[in-house]
Amino acid sequence: MTKQLKILLVLAAVIFLSGIIGTIFVLMPSESGMVEIVQDGKVLYSFDLTATKDQKIVITSSEGKTNTVEIKDGKIFIVHAECPDQTCVKTGVLYSESLPIVCLPNKLIIRFR
Amino acid sequence: MRIKRLTQLSMLTAMALIIFIIELRIPNIIPVPGVKLGLANIITVYAVYRFTAGETAMLVLVRIFLGAVFSGNLSALIYSASGAALCLCGMLIICRIIPNRYIWLSSVFGAILHNTGQICAAIMVMGSFSVIAYYPILLVSGSIAGLFTGFSAQLILKRKDLCFNGQSEK
Repeated sequence: MTKQLKILLVLAAVIFLSGIIGTIFVLMPSESGMVEIVQDGKVLYSFDLTATKDQKIVITSSEGKTNTVEIKDGKIFIVHAECPDQTCVKTGVLYSESLPIVCLPNKLIIRFR
Repeated sequence: MRIKRLTQLSMLTAMALIIFIIELRIPNIIPVPGVKLGLANIITVYAVYRFTAGETAMLVLVRIFLGAVFSGNLSALIYSASGAALCLCGMLIICRIIPNRYIWLSSVFGAILHNTGQICAAIMVMGSFSVIAYYPILLVSGSIAGLFTGFSAQLILKRKDLCFNGQSEK
């Protein structure tokens, strides 16, 4: 094992460990209830989850694809998305400050403010 | 000789595409965009160590483009392309430092660089820095997946004589 190799090995270990610490930090639940829906860098909706009644919002992207957002019992999530990967639907309920619900194909972000 | 290499490259591309399409059928357990096993990268790691830089770049480029076409997910092309570009640049440098016995390490770095490229592309496309929160998760999952693909590629490289008649390349 050469010296360069050892340095690279330590570097990889450091990156991995900082990734784990970062993940724990990112997954901490949010305490605020203020949520905003952003598309293409513009804020479309902004509201307080604890004071919003249950509803469904349909958001259409610039390419004509839709995402259906549902608010229920003070929780917000995407129920339907017109995109191939369906990642935003599988993400489920928004709960962390730094982990927004993201739909990459439709450039949609739902996050705490 | 040129034709033989061309055939080898196209064979590898076809294999990478088959692996890629089979992987699409495996349900993703972690619902974070960008988290993937990346089994097709076994072929990429193999090519980095067996072919020249230009040939590897050709292979990866064709695989990424055709993969996007076959999966019907052309909008994801920019993320995978920028990830692959950064990953390839880094790995072609790193593979000169890391010997054949430690391919898994260079594969881990490849995965980390791939995720870095993906996040950079996502920041540019979304026009917002909020996606950076995915970076730590991608780093952890990428390192594990990279380790796995690296070990697989190492196993294949040990058996290279079986595939290509023991022709000494590079």
